[in-house]
Amino acid sequence: MKSLNPGYKLLSLMIASLLLSVTFHVRLNLLISALCLIVTFCTPGVNRKRLALGLFPFFLAAFGMFTAGFCFGTKGETTGVELSLFGQDTLYAGNLTTAMQLSSRILAYGSLGILYAFTSDAFELVMSLMQQFHLPPKFAYGILAAYHFFPVVREEHAVVGAALKVRGVRAGPLSAKRLLPMLVQAMERSESLAMAMESRGFQENEPRALAFQVKLRLRDFLFLFGVNGMIVGGLFLS
Amino acid sequence: MEAKKNGWKLKEIILTAMICIVFGVAYLAAVYLASMIAAALTPAGLSPLGNELVFGVWFMAATLTGYILQKPGAALIAEVTASVIEVLLGNWFGPIVIVSGLIQGAGAELVFAAHGYKKFGGKVMYLAAAGCCVTSFLWSFVRSGYGKFTIPFLLLLFCIRLVSSLLFSGLICKLIGDGLSKTGLLKGYELGRSHEA
Repeated sequence: MKSLNPGYKLLSLMIASLLLSVTFHVRLNLLISALCLIVTFCTPGVNRKRLALGLFPFFLAAFGMFTAGFCFGTKGETTGVELSLFGQDTLYAGNLTTAMQLSSRILAYGSLGILYAFTSDAFELVMSLMQQFHLPPKFAYGILAAYHFFPVVREEHAVVGAALKVRGVRAGPLSAKRLLPMLVQAMERSESLAMAMESRGFQENEPRALAFQVKLRLRDFLFLFGVNGMIVGGLFLS
Repeated sequence: MEAKKNGWKLKEIILTAMICIVFGVAYLAAVYLASMIAAALTPAGLSPLGNELVFGVWFMAATLTGYILQKPGAALIAEVTASVIEVLLGNWFGPIVIVSGLIQGAGAELVFAAHGYKKFGGKVMYLAAAGCCVTSFLWSFVRSGYGKFTIPFLLLLFCIRLVSSLLFSGLICKLIGDGLSKTGLLKGYELGRSHEA
């Protein structure tokens, strides 16, 4: 999985997700999520502990969708089978189907995303977007530059929060009081970053030499058509 | 007044990406809260509500960047950039997030475009926030299968998302934008210039 071209892998999985979003096929969804998780788990070099931790909120979200579909789903094609649960609610079989459809879809999306997230590298993706998908270099390097500030900004969020607390100001994680100082920092940082890049010879429309080539190979197309062909095939067969 | 340039300067791109990172961090902090609410609401079948509460935060990058740069495409590009960064950071919804970003950004973009990228008052900001809300809600039908819910529940979800969008992407973004231009940091950008005049 890791040797695939990240840009094309992204495209393949995006198309796969879109294909799944026009259908409500419980078995196919479950099959895909199981397959993706197994492939992710078996890929060498994947941090399995992080994977296990990452799965927790994912199943929680799917379960949340399940209960929501159960309680508030449209009745659909109710077959008249009634289930009595919790002593008070009368639930229809149609609701159970809805619940399964909604939650299995979350599982399928999530596992496609996990497959991608755990087998790809951020730097390679941006390089691939630039080399294969014609993302202008100024966007590619601009995004990468900002991306590497993520840990700094996260620390800053905590620091600003603590500073406000010391002064006795209550501010939630999303309050304007907290975001404003962070954005002021971000403004200054982005100006100096841009200046630094330009002063080191980053020019917008000049031809560039590439130190890092992302290859596009036959297997990338095989993956693209294989995955999506499988889904389309699964939809037609059932 | 000089003609508005439509090309993107490097510093504007980095600014956009930086804004996305800041909101990404804030969103991460908020999402813990939201997922706790969602988990608490799960037995009642109301867990999507937890997500809806912070949904407006998704659009903050689009509306704020649109407000600061005030040029065609700013909101759309900001939202797509935000989603690409989400993918880089390993969001477990992965690839589909980019499609979502495109659709949400289009909501704000349409509103800004309808006003010819000239008016950027409070009203337009609220409309842009609402625009994101509407397009993203339509997308939810496709992506999350909202068509399977009953209408009263859908209305409830929509109202919560609308309030969340108006609050975060409308009100707070307007406050932040005005606060930033008061600091004088935005002199090189469209919003700072319009405040000076």
